[in-house]
Amino acid sequence: MTSAAQISPTLDPKLFGDAPARDARFREKSRWVDLMNFPDDHPLKVVEFFHRQMNEEMNGMENAAQSLADFPDADWNVRLSIARQCADEARHVEMFRRIFESRGGEIGAYPVLNFQYRIIANLPDLLSRLVVQNRSFEAGGIDAVTFAIDEARKRGDQELVELFEMQQADEITHVRFANEYIRDTIRADPRAALRVARALTLASTAFTEVMGREGIEKVEYLTDERGRMEAGFGLEEVKAATTQAIKRRASYEGQ
Amino acid sequence: MTLSVENRAEKVATFRFIHVFLMETLARWVPMTPEMEVKVILGRHIWDLAQQADALGKRTYELRAPLQFSLRPLDRYARFLEEFARTTATSEKIHGFYEVMLPALAVRYRAYLDQTDRLLDEPTVRIVERILGDFTRMESESQRLLDELPELRPVDQTWLAGLRKLEAAETDIVASRPATAVA
Repeated sequence: MTSAAQISPTLDPKLFGDAPARDARFREKSRWVDLMNFPDDHPLKVVEFFHRQMNEEMNGMENAAQSLADFPDADWNVRLSIARQCADEARHVEMFRRIFESRGGEIGAYPVLNFQYRIIANLPDLLSRLVVQNRSFEAGGIDAVTFAIDEARKRGDQELVELFEMQQADEITHVRFANEYIRDTIRADPRAALRVARALTLASTAFTEVMGREGIEKVEYLTDERGRMEAGFGLEEVKAATTQAIKRRASYEGQ
Repeated sequence: MTLSVENRAEKVATFRFIHVFLMETLARWVPMTPEMEVKVILGRHIWDLAQQADALGKRTYELRAPLQFSLRPLDRYARFLEEFARTTATSEKIHGFYEVMLPALAVRYRAYLDQTDRLLDEPTVRIVERILGDFTRMESESQRLLDELPELRPVDQTWLAGLRKLEAAETDIVASRPATAVA
């Protein structure tokens, strides 16, 4: 089992909490550069991605579960949605495990990161956690999966297209309930917007610490505007996300 | 013995408390349990427990108690639940939850079905019967987990027997509802 003590001490302890437990098959790393980042044309690129994604889904499940345990007084309807998210993420772990193993992968063959759990479970309130986990990371996931669906379709990989489409439908649901909760919370208490801003700043700083410029530069996709609208973002928010994504990509391409 | 609407609401609200408590227990266990396959089954069953709690919580409202009303059981049983939640070894979590807690809860549900009038209280009966069906599936999924991870099969049988005995020691677990009870 991996413990927090084995994690690189170089990550800022104010931004990262303890790591979730992993069995002996897994090797946890702290930073993106420590993973096996194969080039796009490498034969193991896709298989390694399945393993990485399987572990990320585990982080998603662990975050949702931790929030259920930590906030027993939250509104029942949002708890019900979080419980559903737990089961969805558990199913995603199984989906990625199945396709990973069916294509010759062996669990533990590649190192993994647990930054999502270490950042999000370290946030002190449910609003902050949903803002970062669902509205930020999972919304980014909607964009990423749209790109991945197109890529899989180009390769004629129908099994993967179906997997991604189902994963995306689930993620849209998770982002939607979080957007509703966030909007209602801010409507009831406008000062909560400050917590949202603080959580996003903390998460962004921590994310950059893990990914480094090398990891972020690899992002090729733009915004899935339709998916984001379905997930409850407003038109202005979607436009802003698109503008930001275009600027980000242009800044990397210009170097 | 006959049951009033109020009696039924209190029993259903007590069951709801137990389901929410067990949901939170599994949720707490997920990040701290090392084995991936165990995390996955617990993550799936959190949603089962939540749906069961939700159905019970809607029924409390129909029985003239607040919507999503939970009633904490009598102290000794509540303390027993809290002690179970502190279980740390993975094999004890699995055997304890699937071989003691769910079957024991099923016994309590069957006792309720024997006690209530199935016609007068049909909506509760339907909910309980669905929950019992869920329990059968959940227990069978735990057996598949043990087939996949046979290293979790061995468990301290004395501990398991003790857990079973403690659970069964509390025959009546429903506390009286405080006059100002809220959901």
